[in-house]
Amino acid sequence: MTLKTIKMLATVVVASTIGLASASADVLDTIKERGKLIVGVKADYKPYGFLDTSGAVIGIEPDLASDVAAKLGVEVEFVPVVSSNRMQFLEQGKIDLMIATMTDKPDRRDVVLIPDPNYYSSGTNILSLKSLGLKEWEDLRGKPVCGIQGAFYNKATSQNYGAEIVAFKGTAEAYSALKAGNCAAFVYDDSAIVAKTNDPEWADYEMPLPTIDDAPWGLAVQLGEGNFAALMSEMIVDWHKSGRILELETKWGVANTPFAKAMNEKYK
Amino acid sequence: MTFKTDLPVMMPVKPHEPEPFLRLKLWHVVPIALLCIVGTTLAFAADGDAKQSPLAVLMNWAPLLLRGFIFNLVISVSAMALGTAVGALLGLGQISPNRIMSGGSWFVTQFFRNAPWLVLLFFAMFLLPFELSILGLKIPFPDWFKAILGLSLPVMANVSEIVRGAVKSLPSGQWEAAESLAYTRRQTLWLIILPQCVKRMLPPWMNLYSILTMATVLASIVGVSEVMTLTGRALSAEGGRPELLAPFYGFVLLLFFVYCYPIARYTVRLEKKFAVIN
Repeated sequence: MTLKTIKMLATVVVASTIGLASASADVLDTIKERGKLIVGVKADYKPYGFLDTSGAVIGIEPDLASDVAAKLGVEVEFVPVVSSNRMQFLEQGKIDLMIATMTDKPDRRDVVLIPDPNYYSSGTNILSLKSLGLKEWEDLRGKPVCGIQGAFYNKATSQNYGAEIVAFKGTAEAYSALKAGNCAAFVYDDSAIVAKTNDPEWADYEMPLPTIDDAPWGLAVQLGEGNFAALMSEMIVDWHKSGRILELETKWGVANTPFAKAMNEKYK
Repeated sequence: MTFKTDLPVMMPVKPHEPEPFLRLKLWHVVPIALLCIVGTTLAFAADGDAKQSPLAVLMNWAPLLLRGFIFNLVISVSAMALGTAVGALLGLGQISPNRIMSGGSWFVTQFFRNAPWLVLLFFAMFLLPFELSILGLKIPFPDWFKAILGLSLPVMANVSEIVRGAVKSLPSGQWEAAESLAYTRRQTLWLIILPQCVKRMLPPWMNLYSILTMATVLASIVGVSEVMTLTGRALSAEGGRPELLAPFYGFVLLLFFVYCYPIARYTVRLEKKFAVIN
């Protein structure tokens, strides 16, 4: 290789690095330039993010994401994510913003930037047969318990209470396994379980335990995107102040959660 | 001509050929479909509550699931095309007189042929970037494209073996006769050997395609929005009703059956037609 080629290669490398650096200077500029906000949302988590029969993603979180796009004056595009790839997609820059039922945890704050305050909150509970008469979490020790792959409370339920977690891909499979008697209980979000116990088909089932791990949810942007995070903080406060979260809960058929009510009071 | 005799040895030779247990034709799919879907939904029809029957729910989602299935077919055709093109070269490499060439091709073929498809798919998914920046030009690598690359690796290795096997299966007399007529090695390969190989390669190649088509659902594990992923999402959008599982997955099974069964039948016909009688 001649000196000339080496020089040329070096120039190319430097030039492409500079090109890259300027491109990722501020994601807000990139979004405006592109004319499109790309948001990672769940597509299998009713009612927070799910599909309609045409294949479009709808739900509470897509509605929130559309609010952000409207504020920026751009189009919105949804990328379906799952628990196991949502942070990776954000780190790679495949999505600009992630609103995907993610529980706000300190170790996650090391990987992505979670603007304050939190936009939502939920706790963990179980759905089980009334006839089992479960009273406390300790009663689950040694019993098979259905869960959803990638949910953080699977680990807690098995470590703290000794349950044997059987993790499924989706809720349909888990509910089916519960009905077939393959597991004693189904550990899941309390708001979803409350809805299920009101369903006449599940009349024999109850939510017997005290809700644990009531944890706030955080939306996230890439680390270092301070401007975007500041804008998102403003938006979240606005959502709480205007009662937008409560309104969306009603729209999508969820009972107003204590967290959403409290935040509405706080910022009003 | 026939002989009047009881001696088995004098009887005309009848090749014993197992008949398929059921001779399914394409229209037979309709009753099977009804059995799969209506059968599983009948049990719940008696309920008569406000909820839509499983069949009605399935009909709502069918167009979306069909779109997902077409995506599976696109992945399978592309992976097959890519795998065949590279695999054919690799197969020719395996029969090359050059030791380095044949050794290298052999190694690549064996490596990818003996690796689990799902592992190769994960490999392609998580090792390739989601976009490639060359001199400021951004080339995106969407998930479906990575899935095509990942699935074409085992196809490539299998095609390579099919090509090698077909060339080796020709009697050596073909090579010797060509040599005596002063054909060069390249001429022998292109004008004499390969044209005879094509018909030998066709049935195993079509088998491979069927297997690949059925393997495209593996892409659901790595998050490509194909028919299995969409089925899972549709099921959760319906609130996880357990009675929907059987009709929905039954519908997906049926889609694959309708597509792959004619290919399988046609392969059998080709195999019979091209059968080499020694």
